[in-house]
Amino acid sequence: MKRVSVDIGGTFTDTFVVWDNQYIEGKALTTHHNLALGFNESLGDACKQLKVDPSLLLSEVDSVRYSTTLGTNALIERKGPRIGVLVTTGFKSTIPLSRARGYGEGLSEPEQMDIPNAKRPQPIVPIPMIREVRERIDYLGQVFWTLDEDDVRLRIRELVDAGAEALVVMFTNSVVNPEHELRVREIFLEEYPAHLLGAIPMLLSHQVAGRKGEYARGTSTIMDAFLHQTMYHGLGTLELNLRAQGYSKPMLVSHNSGGMAQLNSTDALQTVHSGPVSGIAASEHLAAAAELGNVVATDMGGTSFDIGIVDQSGVKHYDFNPVIDRWLVSIPMVHLVTLGAGGGSIARYDRMFGSVELGPESAGSDPGPACYDRGGLKPTVTDADLLLGYLDPKNYANGRIPLNPKRARQAVEDHLCDELDLSVADTAKLIKRNVDAGMANGIATELRTRGYEPKDFTILAYGGNGPLHACGIANALGVSRILAPPFSSTFSACGAANVNQMHIHEMSTWTVLFNPATRGFFNDYDGFNRSVEELERRGREDLLRQGMDEQQIRYRLELDMRYGNQRVQTAVVTELNRLHTQKDVLKLMDQFHESYGARFGAGSQSPETGVRINTIRVCAFVEQPKVAFAKLRLGDKTVAPPSPVVQRDCHFVGHDQPLPTPVYDDQALAEGTRIEGPAIVTTRATTYLVEPGWTYRAAAQGGVWFVKE
Amino acid sequence: MHDNISAEERALLDKFLADNKMFLGPDPEIMRDHTVTPRSAAEEAVLKQGFDTHQAHHIRGLINAALSEAFTMVNQMGAAPGAKWGDLVTAIYTAEGNLAMIAPHGIITFAACAFYPIRFIIKNWVSDPTVGVKDGDGFIHNDARYGGVHNTDQSMMMPLYYKGELICWLSSTIHEGENGACEPGGLPAAAESKYDEGIKMSPFKVVENFQIKRDLVTFLQNSVRDPKLQLEDMKVKLHAVMRLRDRIIAILDQFGREALIATMRMHLEDTETEVRRRIRELPDGTTRVLQFMDSSLRENCMQKISVAITVKGDRMICDFRGTAPQFMNRSVNTNLASFKAALATGLLQNIWPDLPHTMAVLSPIEVITDPNSIIDAEGEMPQAMSLMPLFKACVAWTVPMAKFNYSLPRRYSAIIASQYDQAATFIYGGLTQHGDVTGNFCGDINGMGQGARSHADGEHSVSPVFGFMADSGEHEINEEDTPIIRLGAQRLAKDRVGFGKYRGGMGYEQIATARGSGMWGFMTGCEGSKFPSAQGLFGGYSCPAYQLLKIKGVNIFETLNRDPKAIEVFDILKLMNERPLAGGKYSSNDMGMTFELCDEGEIYMICQGSGGGYGDVLERDPALVMKDIEEDLLSADLAREIYKVVFDERTLVVDEDATRAMRDDYRRQRLQRGKPFDAFCKDWVTAEPPADLPYFGSWDDNRRIYAQNPAINLKVVMNADQLQGFYMPNPKDLQIASLEAQLAKAQAALEACQAAGR
Repeated sequence: MKRVSVDIGGTFTDTFVVWDNQYIEGKALTTHHNLALGFNESLGDACKQLKVDPSLLLSEVDSVRYSTTLGTNALIERKGPRIGVLVTTGFKSTIPLSRARGYGEGLSEPEQMDIPNAKRPQPIVPIPMIREVRERIDYLGQVFWTLDEDDVRLRIRELVDAGAEALVVMFTNSVVNPEHELRVREIFLEEYPAHLLGAIPMLLSHQVAGRKGEYARGTSTIMDAFLHQTMYHGLGTLELNLRAQGYSKPMLVSHNSGGMAQLNSTDALQTVHSGPVSGIAASEHLAAAAELGNVVATDMGGTSFDIGIVDQSGVKHYDFNPVIDRWLVSIPMVHLVTLGAGGGSIARYDRMFGSVELGPESAGSDPGPACYDRGGLKPTVTDADLLLGYLDPKNYANGRIPLNPKRARQAVEDHLCDELDLSVADTAKLIKRNVDAGMANGIATELRTRGYEPKDFTILAYGGNGPLHACGIANALGVSRILAPPFSSTFSACGAANVNQMHIHEMSTWTVLFNPATRGFFNDYDGFNRSVEELERRGREDLLRQGMDEQQIRYRLELDMRYGNQRVQTAVVTELNRLHTQKDVLKLMDQFHESYGARFGAGSQSPETGVRINTIRVCAFVEQPKVAFAKLRLGDKTVAPPSPVVQRDCHFVGHDQPLPTPVYDDQALAEGTRIEGPAIVTTRATTYLVEPGWTYRAAAQGGVWFVKE
Repeated sequence: MHDNISAEERALLDKFLADNKMFLGPDPEIMRDHTVTPRSAAEEAVLKQGFDTHQAHHIRGLINAALSEAFTMVNQMGAAPGAKWGDLVTAIYTAEGNLAMIAPHGIITFAACAFYPIRFIIKNWVSDPTVGVKDGDGFIHNDARYGGVHNTDQSMMMPLYYKGELICWLSSTIHEGENGACEPGGLPAAAESKYDEGIKMSPFKVVENFQIKRDLVTFLQNSVRDPKLQLEDMKVKLHAVMRLRDRIIAILDQFGREALIATMRMHLEDTETEVRRRIRELPDGTTRVLQFMDSSLRENCMQKISVAITVKGDRMICDFRGTAPQFMNRSVNTNLASFKAALATGLLQNIWPDLPHTMAVLSPIEVITDPNSIIDAEGEMPQAMSLMPLFKACVAWTVPMAKFNYSLPRRYSAIIASQYDQAATFIYGGLTQHGDVTGNFCGDINGMGQGARSHADGEHSVSPVFGFMADSGEHEINEEDTPIIRLGAQRLAKDRVGFGKYRGGMGYEQIATARGSGMWGFMTGCEGSKFPSAQGLFGGYSCPAYQLLKIKGVNIFETLNRDPKAIEVFDILKLMNERPLAGGKYSSNDMGMTFELCDEGEIYMICQGSGGGYGDVLERDPALVMKDIEEDLLSADLAREIYKVVFDERTLVVDEDATRAMRDDYRRQRLQRGKPFDAFCKDWVTAEPPADLPYFGSWDDNRRIYAQNPAINLKVVMNADQLQGFYMPNPKDLQIASLEAQLAKAQAALEACQAAGR
């Protein structure tokens, strides 16, 4: 297999090249003004290691896969077209009012609580660009107010006159009857010549998101329209860049659903957060290939800590209403929780409880932690790590960032030591303990709300600060196995190499499997099966359009089910792709009963109050060859540690006195190397901290186990 | 008569009384005490040895994670609209029933008064051989007289035993809605006595061995209109509390009982210390605000809530004396415990949002009221719509605390005017399109307009006064469950904000009808249709008054089917001013509407209001005025009239010089109108309330309380320490009497004509 996958992040552009049996990682700084430059440099870095000409490589690979932050950046910079929105009469303020809670979406808990300082984000669509149209459809899809076509023409004209560069149509209940939205598009085509249509895209909400919920569907469609242009120009440029270098196949784009598709089959919204989601995809494949069991994927960087869940049984965890930037949207996105805890998180004295609080304020990368010596004056997690002896001031980030311990000490002394009445070392330990505990609590909440126990999981620790804090997090969480995965410094890019071409289609439905009022059971099998078939057809067409073989297409049916009038969305994956008998109906309810009980506790189910399907979702995909991860299971093979490069005194939580700690370099990555903690391994890519009580065991392909015996 | 009894006799009599209680009603000893109890022997034993603050911090994080997990469960599993849109909480209490911590996103008020029923259980059931408290028990409760906001909220409370010792209590509360009251939906404004309020659960055991007792749940289902909801959410709350129990036991296993006891106690004490520290930072003095409720939800009448906050060193005294007396047959009373819980909520939401959500926030603050006032009503008074005074309590802090806080070197949040404080949402009941009987309320309650800040306009529709990150919901999803059709879902209203240098944030118009039900009806429980609800700050305007508008006798669906162009837009002003539905009966009403049936296609309209404005309107940046016009929040006429801005209506370009001149001129007019304070008082102040005004509360002396209702020629002046309740006449009786009088007059005229041979 020959393959290139790329993840363009905020700081680095990572490339992961599969060249038959060789796996090569390339890295370069991201060039925000022209992403192709960073891409070329990163690819060049990999090709240099491989000793292959980039043009030759690109002409021979089966695909180039790409995770982009273009969408995220465009949102941050508010870089996009002026959008006009048509809504159902009576719903003109739904988007600006953002379900009331929109003031706090995407913010930290303390910021959400501080209502007197609440501030909604700058709107993507200003209020004057929203127009109401006379029409209305009810929850079953029955039209009770026919579309006023004159009104449509007038409102479109008003929006175009007001400078709309893209149009969104968001009609109430359009997902159960899209007739009016579709007619608006026809009118638009009638009213405006093709060249104008080409310049002003019109997006219909039911085609962007298939579920009910007018606000979240509206924001999804607006964001899609907003990002569309930027993303297509950006990705188009990259594709041309690839063409110029000899790559002739379509470029594939990673999606936040955990799949990927060609550029022409990708909605802009699907690309947001595709990088971190690719990391989860890599975790999933790694967990299966290396037989890791359940895995919690953790990515600790400079400003944030991402958590994802991989269940060995294949249960997928999605957010159906994820928050992107500051907005709630309605797309199925691989579940990913971001906590505001990273190396840059600022530590402050908590007067009330006489302890240290971390974040939500972050020093970020600019000015960065105090020890970066770039003007940061407040103590951060990285400053604490440096003061505890874990980081080498001259060899941090492969020597790219020199650290100044004096600055770190000064920041800790000035802001914390006096108030806490603790020494610098004890204060730094407190910072580490609290940040690790905070992340552990975040993981515990994530797992337990889904019915899991942390002790049944292996932590996968990647990201710049992951292997440094993994033992501390695991200690607080009660987990005894951590794997710093192979290719951890380019893990998201590696993930992109492992995803399938996949499309998810979903629709809201009113399917009552058991009606408590009539005590009757669902029997409209044809109606249900038609809905499933329609969703399969849409997925199939997506894949066929991209040249996939129909015989290779697989489908996964997921049903969001609930008891009574609950809001809960418990996705049940079922092998029953069609319903034919009452036995099938009962089997479906049993399956729901089981998964609900596993999540919320046996006996918590309420089938007597009715059982309903809210959403039908079909994932259509084609399995594709994956990166072959080596068996990473802990084996008997043991290699003695190399000689330490140096030994220094380090401070550890739970130890009053510093412990002499040997420090190793890349040589410790040799498979089988076993080192008892405390120890530090500093490599080109990251720093592994082996805390007392833990054992470091190097696995194949550069993977590293931390094990607590 | 032998009045002199010895101490021994007294003791014997007291014992007899204690042993022979006829009814274990709400216990004043519990209900009037909002403070954290002194350290228990177990707490003292643990803390006197000292406990590592950093270890406590660590355990606090674990408890928070557990509470958050349980909260998420309830939010996901709950069937009540309140649970779906965030009106719920999970909490942990010490063994003595002190509220220690609540889930980060939980509704503070719910937990802030759920410690009262726990204290009741501890006092009465633990040692009662017919009840008892043991591991695996769960207690249910909803009657606010035993602690709670109102009877629509139901709590599940569970003791946690560890190695045989009661270590703490756990709870989960949801605003359930339907409770079998005389009106559906759980908020019966029509309740004339507590016996109209539906099911009233004093704390009782409904769970044994972690199982809900089917006989009791059947009784409860039989007592409400929505048996499905009753069963479903009882299971939800139980399982959430059981999950919380698992997590707390894991903490006990890992750290030991001492660690948990110490952490909870330190959390309370540290918070109390911090509150005292913050009070000490405030300047000494007294600041005041007068709040008014303008309706009993049955008739319009002014009820005063008098607020004076005094700071002396680290003491803060909130004095509410002078407030209106209780109503004996109106539901807008509240008990003191509920009122204090709302005060705690408002303090956390508006003034010190960074404080932990625990009862220790209010514990060091002294609260003074007149017993038998509308905010300190005794147990027999109906209080189903206690939301009215409770929402006032939530915002009571804003004006007086802004005066204390404004010049402080360190503020803990922004200076803010009052938020709109009415439950402007539709309460509903009847048969759903699926044949289920139901009654509840809409999530629109969660989007109240924010007060303006000293640095910015208020945010539109930001949160309810009682919680943060609450959700006003999605109407497509709501329409699946009920026959309510939103013709106007959430539509920002025009010309209806609290004006100021910074304006209040707006709420939204809600226009509703029903379709597909054999029987459906609405009610609204709001005040502020005559007198503004949200006060401005430092010269900012209050919000305007908002009405309930109805178009009866029409079927909008038939009209739209017949003539799709019959309606231009569903906008309250256009509908009421242009009256496009021929044959419809248009009416404007106050927002206190008891339950009434809505025929298919009839239209009901209300508006979620604005917060108060901040500062002088003449200081508002003209660019912000133009933005308001552009966003259809303000008409050009009002922009000129209120803000004195000169601009081109077509281009919205401001003539800066002309604006400055107009504003200067207006300032001069103000000065000309102005008069010395004493002269103003002489002209303005009257000795008593106007005789034609239904008025309840003090006038200029908080020791003398007025109760006057011209409709029945009532005028009473009472000493504040001897308040009594008042009956209000049935508005229908008054209407009948009025019609009868008219009829008698007409009859007399007719007879006179006949007598005169005409």
